[in-house]
Amino acid sequence: MASHDDDFLTSPVPEPDAEATPSERAHAKTFADIVDKTLVGRTPVAMSADDRALLEVATVISAANGGMELAASKQRSIVEDALRQAIGGVGAGTSGSVTPIARGRVKRWMPWAVAATSTLVAAAAVLVLWLRAPQQTTIVHETAAIPASWTSRPADPLVGPIAREHAGDASSRIDYLFADRLDGYRERRLSGGKP
Amino acid sequence: MIHKHLKTLGILAIGIAIGITGLVACSNERDASAPSQTRVADPTDVIDEELMVSLAQAKNFHRKAKVYMSDGNLVAATASVRQILSLRFPAGAPEAEDVRADARALLAKLLVSQGQIEEAMRTVQEGLAQSQRESFFVANLHTVQGEIHEARAAQLDAEGEASKAKATDERRAAIAAYDRSIQINEKLQKQLMEQR
Repeated sequence: MASHDDDFLTSPVPEPDAEATPSERAHAKTFADIVDKTLVGRTPVAMSADDRALLEVATVISAANGGMELAASKQRSIVEDALRQAIGGVGAGTSGSVTPIARGRVKRWMPWAVAATSTLVAAAAVLVLWLRAPQQTTIVHETAAIPASWTSRPADPLVGPIAREHAGDASSRIDYLFADRLDGYRERRLSGGKP
Repeated sequence: MIHKHLKTLGILAIGIAIGITGLVACSNERDASAPSQTRVADPTDVIDEELMVSLAQAKNFHRKAKVYMSDGNLVAATASVRQILSLRFPAGAPEAEDVRADARALLAKLLVSQGQIEEAMRTVQEGLAQSQRESFFVANLHTVQGEIHEARAAQLDAEGEASKAKATDERRAAIAAYDRSIQINEKLQKQLMEQR
């Protein structure tokens, strides 16, 4: 076959209108069989370098004309690999563990979406704080809530009516009054001034 | 690969932190910046240090006077009680009027016991004139005033028949003072009963 090929390739180029020789017809039929087998995936194990070169050209021409159909899974894998490379993903060749493009995009943009939303919420909060006018303070005097024992007040309820025989017993009364007010004073101080 | 995951986690953490900060700022906005709607008032009529000091001083002068009286030194006792009238109390403290009225009552009795009846009457009258309200201490002043009227009557009785009419007037005045004291006591007791 090698000698035949050599003859075929080295022989003079025939005229365009010249009739094909039996040898040429046989060679064309053989090559057509090789091309047909290759297109259906049954590439011959061994062939001459010239035939391989011609076969590659024939395959390219056939593919360019749409004559070659890839399997659906292979097509999808190739497309996803290409797209992933286009958006900065990992390289091709890992089609088996490829994440669907839609899910990959969500995963990629989710942190940015959360960060943006949180920033917007924070900005809104700061804006509300800044724009809201300070509320007028109402000071409620809680004098009424203060225990009576903490207040300065008349000593009448403590002392009661003073009998005539005790009219000059002011020393005892001041002792009593002082002790009572001291209790109230200590109570207020120890509680921090809050009832 | 790991670096990329860490970067993603970092962005997520920053976003969540900013969001939480914003929400916390919203929820706690009034805690630090805005003053409270209500606050404990600091009324001026609570028992304060100044009142306690004044009461303590009055107590000490009374104790001192008591020691002098037990020793028979009525002049020193009188001087000690007079010092109570000079004590400075917090403005408007009801205790001040009560303490002063009680000191005047004791002072008047001390003066009477020393024969200074007119000085005693002036002391009581000043106390009554300065009183802003009716109290058991004012009632006590009226009681002491009645005793002074009685002392005057006794003095007039000692002067003979010529002063007998004046002595009778003093006894009537004493009765009027006692009546006034009784009247104030009854009124205050009624008020206190109603308050309970």
